[in-house]
Amino acid sequence: MFRNQLGNLSRVSSQLQRISRVELMSTEVQPAESANSVINEFRTAVTSPGEHSALQLAKFYKIPAEEKKQIFAGGGLPKQYEQQIKTFTEACLMVRQPALELLNYIKNADLSKPAVRYVIYGDNGVGKTLTMAHVLHYGSLNDFLLVHVPWAPNWTKRPKESTNSSTQEGFIDLPFDAAAWLVHFKTQNAKLLQKLQLKTSKEYVWSKRESTPAGATLVELIEHGIARIKYATETTAALISELKLLSTGGQCKVLVAIDGFNAFFHPITRIFSDNKQLVTPDRITLTQPFLDITKYDWTNGICVLSVDKIAMTEGYMDSYMPRYLLGKTGFEHLDPFVPVHVTNYTDKEFLSCINYYMDRHWITKTQPGFEEQLKFMSNHNPYTLMQIVRGL
Amino acid sequence: MALRVFGLNIIKNNRNILQNVGKTNGVPTNQGAAAALYATQVTVEAAPAAVQKQKVSKAMKSYLKRANEHDEFMKTQHLEFQIGKRHLANMMGADAETFTQEDINEAISYLFPSGLYDKKARPTMRTPDEVFPARKAAEFDETGRPFHSMFYTAKPNFFQLLHDIVEETNKLNDLEERMLRRGNKPDENQKLETAGFQLLPKEHLERVLVEQIADIEYQNFSNSMERLIASPYAYKSKAFIERFLKPLIDQSKQLEVPKPKIDEQGRQYITTYECLRKTARADVTVRLPGTGKITINGQDISYFSVEQSKEQLLFPLHFCDMLGKVDVEANVEGGGTSGQAGAIRWGIAMSLRSFVDQEMIESMRLAGLLTRDYRRRERKKFGQEGARRKYTWKKR
Repeated sequence: MFRNQLGNLSRVSSQLQRISRVELMSTEVQPAESANSVINEFRTAVTSPGEHSALQLAKFYKIPAEEKKQIFAGGGLPKQYEQQIKTFTEACLMVRQPALELLNYIKNADLSKPAVRYVIYGDNGVGKTLTMAHVLHYGSLNDFLLVHVPWAPNWTKRPKESTNSSTQEGFIDLPFDAAAWLVHFKTQNAKLLQKLQLKTSKEYVWSKRESTPAGATLVELIEHGIARIKYATETTAALISELKLLSTGGQCKVLVAIDGFNAFFHPITRIFSDNKQLVTPDRITLTQPFLDITKYDWTNGICVLSVDKIAMTEGYMDSYMPRYLLGKTGFEHLDPFVPVHVTNYTDKEFLSCINYYMDRHWITKTQPGFEEQLKFMSNHNPYTLMQIVRGL
Repeated sequence: MALRVFGLNIIKNNRNILQNVGKTNGVPTNQGAAAALYATQVTVEAAPAAVQKQKVSKAMKSYLKRANEHDEFMKTQHLEFQIGKRHLANMMGADAETFTQEDINEAISYLFPSGLYDKKARPTMRTPDEVFPARKAAEFDETGRPFHSMFYTAKPNFFQLLHDIVEETNKLNDLEERMLRRGNKPDENQKLETAGFQLLPKEHLERVLVEQIADIEYQNFSNSMERLIASPYAYKSKAFIERFLKPLIDQSKQLEVPKPKIDEQGRQYITTYECLRKTARADVTVRLPGTGKITINGQDISYFSVEQSKEQLLFPLHFCDMLGKVDVEANVEGGGTSGQAGAIRWGIAMSLRSFVDQEMIESMRLAGLLTRDYRRRERKKFGQEGARRKYTWKKR
């Protein structure tokens, strides 16, 4: 019904497109800088998340391509959002209240105190991951080492390979996932690692012949883990314990961001041991370092965690509240934490989003009152809105 | 005795009425009074003594024979009916003398309980007068001479009717001319109101006339009736016209719009209970000054994950341009997604009637928003893959 109604005014919209194209051409005469930073009511030229304030609320800012490539190359943006970015040929994020709140906390945090845990929670499709992406962008620009897990349930739900751990009896290793994470860590922090030249504090002996001596750079450690996939899990653990030490020592700042953190406490996984027994996440070696780094026994760090209904399995998706999703152990593990609630769009954000879609010619066929229909159909939910206006 | 066809009650037992056996009419009717005008017009006393002396035509002879047979038959039927009634009364422990038709119906439905769906298919017991259809009486006298001048048209009643209509029309035309000459105008207040009426349908008219008529003849009838009704002085022959009009089913009652109530916050609200679709049951409350908040079983519109269901739900609101102006609360249970959405849609549409003007209600009705959707799941048939689909045909 809805699409047909949208289809009625195709001619008018094509006319409008033609006009807007003419406008674009006319702006080319002006200096290149002003043409790039076209400021509309839904767009802001402030591209640094550190400078975002309530002034930029509900406006889109553009993540430069190289920064986007550096931070989100190994994941971190939802797949469908990634596709949309590709279509729009620009990576834009909306400045929203929860992200601003979180950035405000982070900016004013006293890093000499134990790491503060922020838990992002909210219903499906409200923008938890994108809030985290916003914070990641901030962290990357402000010399934080990013310890970013794009989607933790990937390890419990669809691991690439699982083997028995050689060091810990009864535990399961996920060598490929660990190596992939090391690659992700390396690409995200390549520049900073180069700059800081962080050294390991002790010698790590992997086998009789292989070892990483004390005083080796972290890059060497990581590269060994990537090259010798067998030891990737242990390398991850070593790396994270080193990071904790280094940041506590004041040599670096660490921003931990784990999406779908509650997967670490959800007893149901798709990993099975040799005797076909279901392996709980606490028996997976890869989860241990990340549980370790989310404790508050270190300083100079920030933990941004998100809890998500989708990280659970069927039958455990009744509520999106952290206590329900984390369970008792998870809640006690994180307690005390700062909850950040992400909600559906406000009217202002919704209109801004519609304007952005129109600007991108993603919505072209409009008729009076179409926003109202979209608003009620999507119930202000960002993901649903994206689904409704998507191509067939 | 116990057949279920309603006949014309034109046979009077005390008078031996001649009947034309050849002209039977098997169509059930309740238009006894109207039919009587035509059917009993011609009644001839059967077998008077004088007949013997005169020359009786062959047609008359055979007619008399059949009429006598029919009378005999009806007499036995009546007798059997009386006996049956008596038996029934005994079985039910009631007094046979005061046992009425209603008591009979009750007794039959008690003694012969039937699971048949169609009420007409269930066992009944009625008087033979109702069960056996009326037949046309003889239209000619003993010498074979027809009474009616249009007897040889084979449909005298019908052509008489056409004749009458034209006569009325001519009368009205004359009247109109006279009035024009005098400079008078037809009385607007007395204008004939035919909005809620329609002409008798063909089957109905056939019953009234006790004659079969062709489609084209019915067309002639309706054309001439329309001509008559179109006359500005049609109210002068109101009595005549009304004999051939039938009131349409009264829809205003169904569309009677309830008055909104006021809740504790001073908002108008309407609750529609029993909103049904498939196996879903819902009750829907619509509150007038609202912000467009939709609550379904305590959740918002994301209660429905399917896009189509949401569209269904929003359609009446969008149709009336009430999106964002009213609040909707719905409790729904049973059925599946589309059934629940359909039930709520109907409930919203019904409730919205109280908040929109008559014109909008009419267009809502035309859009089918106020119509209850009675479609149900169709059962699977054996020997088939589903309700309609057959198994893949295989040569062998």
